[in-house]
Amino acid sequence: MSEAILLAPAERMRSIQDRVRRTLVPPGAGWAVLVALASGSAAVGAWSWSLAIRNGMQVTGLNRPVGWGVFITDFVFWVGIAHSGTLISAILYLFRARFRTAVYRAAEAMTVFAVMTAGLFPVIHLGRPWLAYWIFPYPNQRHLWINFRSPLVWDVLAISTYLVVSSLFLITGLQPDAASLRDQATGWRRRLYALVAMGWRGTSEEWRHYGRGYLFFAAFATPLVISVHSVVSWDFAVSLVPGWHSTLFPPYFVAGAILSGVAMVIALLIPLRKALGLEELITQDHLGLLSRLVLLTSLIVTYSYGTEFFLALRGEPTDDRATLIYRATGDYAPLFWTMVTCNCLVPLSLFWKKVRATNALLLPAMLLVNVGMWLERFVIVVTSLSHNRVPFDWHLYRPTLVEAGVTLGSFGWFFLLFLIFLKLMPAVSISELKEETGGHHA
Amino acid sequence: MRELAGIVGVFAAPSTAAAAARALRSKGHEVRASMPAAFPEVLEAIGRPPSRLGLATLGAAALGAVLGLALSVGTSLAWPLRVGGKPIVALPAFLVIVFEMAVLVGALVNFFGLAFLAARARRTHPVPEDARFSRDRIGLFVPGGADAAVEELLRKSGAEEVRRVG
Repeated sequence: MSEAILLAPAERMRSIQDRVRRTLVPPGAGWAVLVALASGSAAVGAWSWSLAIRNGMQVTGLNRPVGWGVFITDFVFWVGIAHSGTLISAILYLFRARFRTAVYRAAEAMTVFAVMTAGLFPVIHLGRPWLAYWIFPYPNQRHLWINFRSPLVWDVLAISTYLVVSSLFLITGLQPDAASLRDQATGWRRRLYALVAMGWRGTSEEWRHYGRGYLFFAAFATPLVISVHSVVSWDFAVSLVPGWHSTLFPPYFVAGAILSGVAMVIALLIPLRKALGLEELITQDHLGLLSRLVLLTSLIVTYSYGTEFFLALRGEPTDDRATLIYRATGDYAPLFWTMVTCNCLVPLSLFWKKVRATNALLLPAMLLVNVGMWLERFVIVVTSLSHNRVPFDWHLYRPTLVEAGVTLGSFGWFFLLFLIFLKLMPAVSISELKEETGGHHA
Repeated sequence: MRELAGIVGVFAAPSTAAAAARALRSKGHEVRASMPAAFPEVLEAIGRPPSRLGLATLGAAALGAVLGLALSVGTSLAWPLRVGGKPIVALPAFLVIVFEMAVLVGALVNFFGLAFLAARARRTHPVPEDARFSRDRIGLFVPGGADAAVEELLRKSGAEEVRRVG
């Protein structure tokens, strides 16, 4: 065997290592500008929230009968965004979809930060956030009644379990990568990588346990990810409010979550791979395959919208029918039809390979999907409440600047965390890429 | 770490390292590796049984399920308020808690169990440290004293570098 062939895998491994290490060099002006924008937005959000804390929830547009508004919309939106990371890292791992290798780290990090953002909203929505611990389900002597029959308590368990499991999954994946960076780093970076690597040396015995541990994480995360958005959907479906009380909600919410989450991953990866010079590792083919997932979930969501209307419109008139007709033709109809355009029509363009292969077309499509999915949650939450069973009670809900500020702040907070992560930790999995290119697949 | 003794071979490709490991094992030598990724062919050639971490993880998940049931049933019985036409102990509703707690406890034990087993593996099956083994090279380590036959076999199998340690 010639030396060139013998050396080839080593060179490929070194090239991956160097390429990823280059993304961690001290950040440039562009990064600083983005961090400033994200921090500024987060500060606006923090100030807006402080207004709600100091003056009470009267500064929001919430009033009888609309008790859930933009904050709950934001909560459901961010939980949905959090879904694609685990889908890509766990479900595609179990299905042995090899294209996940290049993209799963960014998606996983996005998941953790999106859950951290989502988790703020129930607390913000409480109005009296200092009492947030009342919801935690533990037997106590303070006469707090923990109702385990309520989906709101399931939600606390589901979201906090999801945060813990997705963080542990992310850290486990980072361990071998942090070890390889540790061995080349100096100063505080060396200490940071050593901390994350937890002593990792890459011996065959460690890899033996690691493979099994990773498999079990994937096996746990897969049903978990489906359960989390099902539980979020039960926040609505277990109530008796028309337009919410439907057994269709769990699958419909899970598909919608994956739609918005994968669209967000693509929207993040397009600028990221260019800015960090990772075009050869995260290729256009990877984006193309992810956009097929967007197309698939968009078709499921479209089918669910259709089913929802079909079930409401057939047979005798019901409250559900009145609510759904109001959604499509009432005060919030422009939002409803924008939602249908963004979630059902725009993704159809992904049937064309040209759209999947052209970032100038793909990126706007993915951003529109996210606009559509935010609107979907707004439409579901608000229309059912504002137009309830008692016409005497009907009331239009309009979000205030405070709610807009908190929403802007959530995007700032999310992007701030993501930008910091990109400069501290590898945005692609070094060890899995090495396994693919250095091993027998090469 | 205690003083390690043995022979280290440095390889540039997983396939050659795997072939060398197979050859060494057929001669009755214990082989360990240190490498930047979980190359399946190398792990297979080293031939250790699958990890039993999963047993601990599954046990923990079962424990989590029991804890979830105990938490929801116990808390409901501690202050029995009947609402929504559901019984005080409403098992279908509590299954969500049971499932989430099973996953939570299972994942925590999986994480810390992995950390524990990896730390123990570094102690019981150490391999001499070399920064190349986390970057672009695969190191095979045959513990024991000087053995010219092992060195020769490593060289013949395509090792770039063979050295004695300890």
